[in-house]
Amino acid sequence: MAGCWKKPNVSAGKDVVLLHQLDRGVFTPSISPFPLKLETYLRMANIPYENDFKDPMGPKGKTPWMTLNGEDFSDSQLCLELLASTFGKDFSSHLTEAERAIGRTFQIMAEEHLYWVVVLWRWVYTKGKTLWAIQMNFPAPLRFIMPIFVRRMKGQASAQGMGRHSQEEVIEMGMKDLRAMSAYLGIKPYFMGDTPTEMDCAMFGMLAMIVWCMPGSPFEQHMKGEFINLKDFCERMKDQFWPDWNQCLLPPRV
Amino acid sequence: MASQSKRAWQSKHCLLRHFCPCKSAGMLEQAIESLTAIWKNERGLIVASAGVAASLYFLASKIYAVREKSQLRKKWNSAPKDVVILHQLPRGKFTPSISPFPLKLETYLRMAGIRYENDFTEPKSLENKTPWITLNGEDVADSQICLELLADKFQKDFSCHLSPEEKATARAFQIMAEDHFYWTGVLWRWVYTKGKTLRQIHATFAPPLSLKIPLVCRRMKSQAIGQGLGRHAEKDVIEMGIKDLRAMSHYLGNKSYFMGEEPTELDCAMFGMLAQLVWNMPGSPFERLLNSELPNLKRFCERMKDRFWSDWDQCLLPVPL
Repeated sequence: MAGCWKKPNVSAGKDVVLLHQLDRGVFTPSISPFPLKLETYLRMANIPYENDFKDPMGPKGKTPWMTLNGEDFSDSQLCLELLASTFGKDFSSHLTEAERAIGRTFQIMAEEHLYWVVVLWRWVYTKGKTLWAIQMNFPAPLRFIMPIFVRRMKGQASAQGMGRHSQEEVIEMGMKDLRAMSAYLGIKPYFMGDTPTEMDCAMFGMLAMIVWCMPGSPFEQHMKGEFINLKDFCERMKDQFWPDWNQCLLPPRV
Repeated sequence: MASQSKRAWQSKHCLLRHFCPCKSAGMLEQAIESLTAIWKNERGLIVASAGVAASLYFLASKIYAVREKSQLRKKWNSAPKDVVILHQLPRGKFTPSISPFPLKLETYLRMAGIRYENDFTEPKSLENKTPWITLNGEDVADSQICLELLADKFQKDFSCHLSPEEKATARAFQIMAEDHFYWTGVLWRWVYTKGKTLRQIHATFAPPLSLKIPLVCRRMKSQAIGQGLGRHAEKDVIEMGIKDLRAMSHYLGNKSYFMGEEPTELDCAMFGMLAQLVWNMPGSPFERLLNSELPNLKRFCERMKDRFWSDWDQCLLPVPL
């Protein structure tokens, strides 16, 4: 499995992915769901890769992005599909068309709906204050310009639609999403059965935020109670694809 | 400078005499000279009067708007008990609504047998969302919140026979339609086709209202960028939309409705969204897909229309002959 740290002054070789993402978090290898999804997929698919933490924002203003054989690609899902096609990987080939459809819908629920609940909680309701607890090396001046980021995220959430609801309504929507995910996962080890598929990487990326990166949130408690199977799923994915999890934190844990 | 303006004045008068070579030209010249003199002498008074007139007009129109709203509010509040006032955009040419959410909510009202009346004068709520409802004097916005409130109040549950896993799947499909595929539709309608299809599908988008379309296009583009999908290339967005539709089609399969042989709340949401593709996106790749590779989605729309909209033609504007 590729290491967690970028080797200085070494560019990625042929068919080696250079993954550009935010720096490591205190509790998770990334405090953003999409880099965590993509890096988990790279590990699941055994695709060689290196990390670059210096240039996390790509040409579309999104993170993560990747460089492969000199070409840049943005958007975690487009990257994942390109890698699957380039390296001939398909972890969903055993699923029926209806099952793959269900997999897609749950991934979209996580990345296009629950994601905005997380954004609103992290940036608007807590005004970005939890970032200092989950990411170590934010520069101190960022504290002073945090209101600008808060306003920007609020604007984006408002444009998407969820930001126009009350906090109570948003939290309730998040609970309903988690309840649906928990109900669908049930007692299965992974969302689509006994073996992990691509959508498990996406679900892990999002759910890991709730398990480890939202201290004090109303969801955190439920993950230890009503949605315990979602937490168990996260632990399972972590054990299977991140045996070096502690070394991929900042600061690294012994 | 004075001689230049005098020469310009004389030149203008020559032109006037050229085009009106009769006694009226002389009267017109006198009128222009009088007005010019008045303007020079009473400029301040004229500007002040115009300002006062504009302010009075503005105040009058505000008072009129407040009075109109107050009368509408009285009308909505005096609706019979437990009758829903559904506020939405005016009817479309091919569908009762050119927006998926009003169509979803109105279909649900019909499915649940809940009495309702339409209001097309105030389609936007205070939160700037459409549709919204007034029920027993209380306003509620957002189609899904309205639906859940109505289900609770009128004790309607069309999904009680589903397992927790099936209910979860239903929620996931609804979110895919309304929070993901919806944005591919927005981008196609407002950005890629620059709002041009609006005039084809909605009768009230004639000038001068149609002059607002570029402003709406810019706003929708900005919203789509904020949401995320708007940052992708057009071909990537269309491809994402196509993948969503394929997923919907594969899950629907040969079933009559998404969750089986009887319609549920999910079907109202899916119908609201898919009806836009079937009838309101002329020339789109999505329309072509539903007519070729994914006909089961089109048949589903026809089925919902036949079951809950027997008066479909009377709910269009203009009403077809």
